[in-house]
Amino acid sequence: MKKLVSAPALFLAAGVLLVAGLLLAFLYSPIDASTMGYSQKIFYYHAPIAETALLAFGISFVAAILYLRSPKPKWDHLGVVSVRLGLVFSVLVMATGMIWGRAAWGRWWDWEPRLTTFLLVCFLYTAYFVLRSVVEEEQRRATFAAVFAIIAFIDVPITFFATRFLPAGMHPTVITASGTGMPGSMFVSFFISMIGMTLLLVALIRRDLGVEDLRDRVADLKHSIGG
Amino acid sequence: MTGWRQFMAILRKDLIHELRTREMIISMILFVLLAMVIFHYAFAVKENVDLTYFTGGMLWVTFIFAMLLGLNRSFAQEKDERCLDGLLLCPVDRVTIFLAKTAGNLIFLLIIQVVAVPVFTLFFVQRGYGGDLLLFVVVLLLADVGICALGTLLATISMNTRSRDLLLPIIFLPLIVPLLIAATAATTTIFATGASFGATGTRLLFLLGFDAVFMVAAYGTYDFAIGE
Repeated sequence: MKKLVSAPALFLAAGVLLVAGLLLAFLYSPIDASTMGYSQKIFYYHAPIAETALLAFGISFVAAILYLRSPKPKWDHLGVVSVRLGLVFSVLVMATGMIWGRAAWGRWWDWEPRLTTFLLVCFLYTAYFVLRSVVEEEQRRATFAAVFAIIAFIDVPITFFATRFLPAGMHPTVITASGTGMPGSMFVSFFISMIGMTLLLVALIRRDLGVEDLRDRVADLKHSIGG
Repeated sequence: MTGWRQFMAILRKDLIHELRTREMIISMILFVLLAMVIFHYAFAVKENVDLTYFTGGMLWVTFIFAMLLGLNRSFAQEKDERCLDGLLLCPVDRVTIFLAKTAGNLIFLLIIQVVAVPVFTLFFVQRGYGGDLLLFVVVLLLADVGICALGTLLATISMNTRSRDLLLPIIFLPLIVPLLIAATAATTTIFATGASFGATGTRLLFLLGFDAVFMVAAYGTYDFAIGE
């Protein structure tokens, strides 16, 4: 497959942007004026990771629909790879969220809508891999996984909405319909981190797809020598 | 046969099978009553605890777990007796099978609720509380449709895998949590504050939306779930 940008270049770009975002967050963006103070700095990583995780699940959703429309292994590979990376990013969201929660509210865990949603997302997409592990036949496994990936992705916003029925949360609502609610000096650092994180996801997806292809080739070769 | 007659034929088959064996309903009702006793002791932290505020949660947890039992049964028998192969050989639309199976599960769930709701309210809701019965029935129906639609789709998938009934709770529970939250919130408001339609409005709308979204999603994907 022809690639527009080489994989190391993508990783490099992601790395540069992420480091730049981090430096800007500490050196350029102001210290948060509200009670959160310095602990707010983790936001420049926490929120981009969360958005990247959701992006990864969005990709798996699209891949699942494409697979059901035309069952080609490449769509199944894209599905597995993006769910796996989405899950890794979700765990990071939980970790950074808990660290922030400890610093800002004095508690490691709070049943706050967004954090609760990510907890459920972790369960959901872990179930995706449990489902894959109990179906032997390849095509059937890919089909079931695709159906589940579709249902799971639909469930994510619904879960987020439902958690609003729970008594009070304390998460700052940063991006609302009326704007970002962020001063420009904060937004620059946030935006650069977000682009960096997205590039990192793209680079990782590409690398993992390569791994899946190799795995297929190894299986084919083993098969051809009768192993 | 038209779609409607096929639907009724499959539904009738499931109901007759259940009427003759009674294995599902009896175990589910016993399960619900046992769960009530277990809840009572689990929450007996001191004398005269007012469990009114927990009744909604207890009810919905019980219904969802009872439904897991029922869903596994309703497909285990299809698979064990190879009924499903016969069903798939018939010139029946897969979606009709889905709708009939969902309707069957819905009827079983409603039967259980007719038994469980009066017993739970009698044992747990303190005097002086109470709410709009009609409103509660609306909540029940809306939540039941969502549970059964999603449950039927996922039970079809899990039945076709190696681990079968072991898989269903793992894929079903995380997906049903939003519905559990909304149904519990609505039920608790009704029991504890005697709420009107206005106070539970957004929750009812949410449940309606949940049903609609997952009915459409299941409609679109059931062909793939049931397999060849």
